[in-house]
Amino acid sequence: MLGKQEVISTLEMLKYEHLDLRTVTLGISLLDCASDDVRVFTARARQRIETLAAALVTTCDRLGATYGVPVVNKRIAVSPIALVGAPFTAAEMVEVARALDTAAGNVGVDFVGGFSALVEKGMAAGDRALIDAVPEALATTARVCASINVATTRAGINMDAVLRMGETVKATAEHTASDDGLGAAKLVVFANIPEDIPFMAGAYLGVGEGDAVINVGVSGPGVVKRAIERAIEAEPGIDLGRLSEVIKQTAFKVTRAGELIGREVAQTLGVTFGVVDLSLAPTPTRGDSVGEIFRSLGLASIGAPGSTAVLAMLNDAVKKGGAFASSYVGGLSGAFIPVSEDLEIAAAAARGDLSIEKLEAMTSVCSVGLDMIALPGDTSAEALAALIADEMAIGVINRKTTAARLIPVPGKRAGEHAHFGGLLGEATIMALPHGSGGNAFVRFGGRVPAPIQSLVN
Amino acid sequence: MTQAVISVLGEDRPGIIAAVSQALLEAGCNIRSVSQTLLQAVFGALFVVAMPDDIDEAALARTLTGALDGLDLDVIVHAYPAGAAAARVHAEPFVVTTHGPDRPGIVAAVSGVLARHGVNVTDLQAVFEGGDRPEANAMIFQVDVPDPVSLAALKADLASAAERLGLELNVQHRRLFEIMNRI
Repeated sequence: MLGKQEVISTLEMLKYEHLDLRTVTLGISLLDCASDDVRVFTARARQRIETLAAALVTTCDRLGATYGVPVVNKRIAVSPIALVGAPFTAAEMVEVARALDTAAGNVGVDFVGGFSALVEKGMAAGDRALIDAVPEALATTARVCASINVATTRAGINMDAVLRMGETVKATAEHTASDDGLGAAKLVVFANIPEDIPFMAGAYLGVGEGDAVINVGVSGPGVVKRAIERAIEAEPGIDLGRLSEVIKQTAFKVTRAGELIGREVAQTLGVTFGVVDLSLAPTPTRGDSVGEIFRSLGLASIGAPGSTAVLAMLNDAVKKGGAFASSYVGGLSGAFIPVSEDLEIAAAAARGDLSIEKLEAMTSVCSVGLDMIALPGDTSAEALAALIADEMAIGVINRKTTAARLIPVPGKRAGEHAHFGGLLGEATIMALPHGSGGNAFVRFGGRVPAPIQSLVN
Repeated sequence: MTQAVISVLGEDRPGIIAAVSQALLEAGCNIRSVSQTLLQAVFGALFVVAMPDDIDEAALARTLTGALDGLDLDVIVHAYPAGAAAARVHAEPFVVTTHGPDRPGIVAAVSGVLARHGVNVTDLQAVFEGGDRPEANAMIFQVDVPDPVSLAALKADLASAAERLGLELNVQHRRLFEIMNRI
């Protein structure tokens, strides 16, 4: 029989601490839909998606109701379109994006990822066509998300691709100027991209995966925060070792809930279960914030001295708890610090307590990167590329995933407000030193060689 | 040997189980199973025992009452229920929780709905801490929902009952609680 405390504490997590399944993402391979005729490909792709994902939303809702854990988002991730659509022109790539958007809408999911290319060592024809198509594709669709991998620890950093992506981010924002550059919120540039992220905008189905797979993103920054607060109140003189333990045990519980439902969704749909991504992913809701965890651990604000250390401890404890809870942990699995998607982080940036420089330092110990950062509209493509290069370097040298989701908001300046809406939230535009000029470094091009991996200092 | 069920009730203090089990031993009984609980200051226990063939429930009751005289316990010996070993339909375990201010009728109303749907309560716990945190006043019903029962209909009826009583009510499969809280 269950003990009272087991029941009550679980219910409190669900009712007051925003424990939920942030996303159930169905990965669908489109590799065998390939054709050099875009109409054939899009017809096959739509058929594939609309068949396999037909019961995704209802299954998630039913299982969510059975267990009382809401599945907040249902999403789809497909094979990287630059590979599957390698023969296509940029215009045809836009058609593919529209077909994905339609299919996603028909099955009731809110985002479809996989409009992606892997160019860490070089760009092929399909990659170039996809990247050329990104600004229009993201401006003319609602649900499509794009991710481009420009660096790996093994290959180094493809600076030609980095420069191209600086230009692409800027163009994508300009194509959606009336929405404060919203297109760029659906585009992420990666180093060491994982093949099984369930979260957007980085989700795509890796080429080593099977026909279809369910990956789950759990979340619970509010749960972690409350656990920390209760422990501090209950244990005077509590130390960081003990707090790490509290975070770890909380991450265990959250991961377990995610895997339970994810496995049943997979079984019901007749597909493989992939991984739990146990990231602390915030939403712009009070109490569902990673930023608030910094306060509960004694900092005046995220961005204050101590922030990088706090995040390192938090990220590591979350991974350890999750790794014990499930044998299949993947994706990003850590703590997210997306500026616009977290009320407390957005507020800290608006107050000037959190700068881009501190955020960049923190990305060296968290699982995502420079995420959902609104920048001045006059930020140049080269400055964007250089900032992306910084983030890629952190990932490549430290053998981890890093990413950049930067939004230069057309027509607005540092200190002004950008509004993206829904889960993407809103943010104050952050200042970037030397952001509007040229950057001769990125113009050199070529590849930054892969780092030596034996002399690690 | 035949089985009997013995219920024991009294004011809680150390030594009750020792006294009862010693008395059962001396009466030639073997304890097959026991469940004991403390509710506020009250001790309660159920013993399933195997009685020797030469005594019946009435005789055992007299023996126990004599042996436990002075301990101020209510001891009743019952025949073991005849239909108790009947085959059961497969059921899924759920947890029904109610939260809200205490008032008369909560247990009756919720358990009434459960009974009407053929749902069996396997465990019932109450948390009454007072104050204004809703979770401080909770009823936790662990139940078995037989496969033929419509979960949707059960939930709808429970929701109506909860609304009439001004309570929050949740119905969740037990596996969630087990998997989150146990290794």
